[in-house]
Amino acid sequence: MSEIVLMAHVLFGMACLVTSVCIFVDVLHVSATNQARIRKMSWAAAVALWLAFFIAGYWYVFFYHVDKAIILKGPWPSAHTFFMETKEHLVIMLLLLATYLPIVASNDLAANPGARKIALWVAGMIAVLALMMEGEGAIIAMGVKVALLAGAK
Amino acid sequence: MENTPIPKYTISFGLSLALACVVNALLVVAKEKIPSVMAGMQKLTGHHWVSHCAIVLLLFALFGWLFARANGGRGINLTLNRFLATLVSGVALGGLLIFAFYLIGD
Repeated sequence: MSEIVLMAHVLFGMACLVTSVCIFVDVLHVSATNQARIRKMSWAAAVALWLAFFIAGYWYVFFYHVDKAIILKGPWPSAHTFFMETKEHLVIMLLLLATYLPIVASNDLAANPGARKIALWVAGMIAVLALMMEGEGAIIAMGVKVALLAGAK
Repeated sequence: MENTPIPKYTISFGLSLALACVVNALLVVAKEKIPSVMAGMQKLTGHHWVSHCAIVLLLFALFGWLFARANGGRGINLTLNRFLATLVSGVALGGLLIFAFYLIGD
């Protein structure tokens, strides 16, 4: 069960990442015709990240202590002491950015170049931060794997 | 582009986001370095990370609302470049502080 919870948070995180890249490209070519789509996708990115956040938070609070103990006994303790510690706090910034995106997208992006520039920055920062979270998540999972492999030898 | 008016909620919640990112990083340092802060956050909700998230999210909502009410309800007036510089600097500073703390300070 905990593995399904873990994979679900990755799925929704990826959904937010892909959606924010789509929004970035759509905003570059914004017009009256794609503005409604940008707004819907901004809401979708925010909802996906909130789902990822709640699922990840549930897993972190109730299941992560087992992985943490394994990582700390293994050859890659930094998978917890650096990567998990930074990830669990950087994700709050990502959540704020994803929540802010629909506020920016509610502006008339086709007519307001200032709002358009802000939307590009926010979508870009979401994409970069979400990619970092995926990378850190992979390192944490690898930290568990190398610890288990080291124990099996 | 510089003279294009930016709606007040975009500015107020953008500034609040920058502020919340910096507070998020400072809260990391405070709870990791001061045991009583960590204990207080543990006690608040049962888990320090849940309290941490709740504090930062509440600050974001509160300051977004407060900044929108500045200047008699017209919100904070900023040029686009200054607003973007503040927003991006807040996010970058928050991120760098967290990375630097766990890299060298912890």
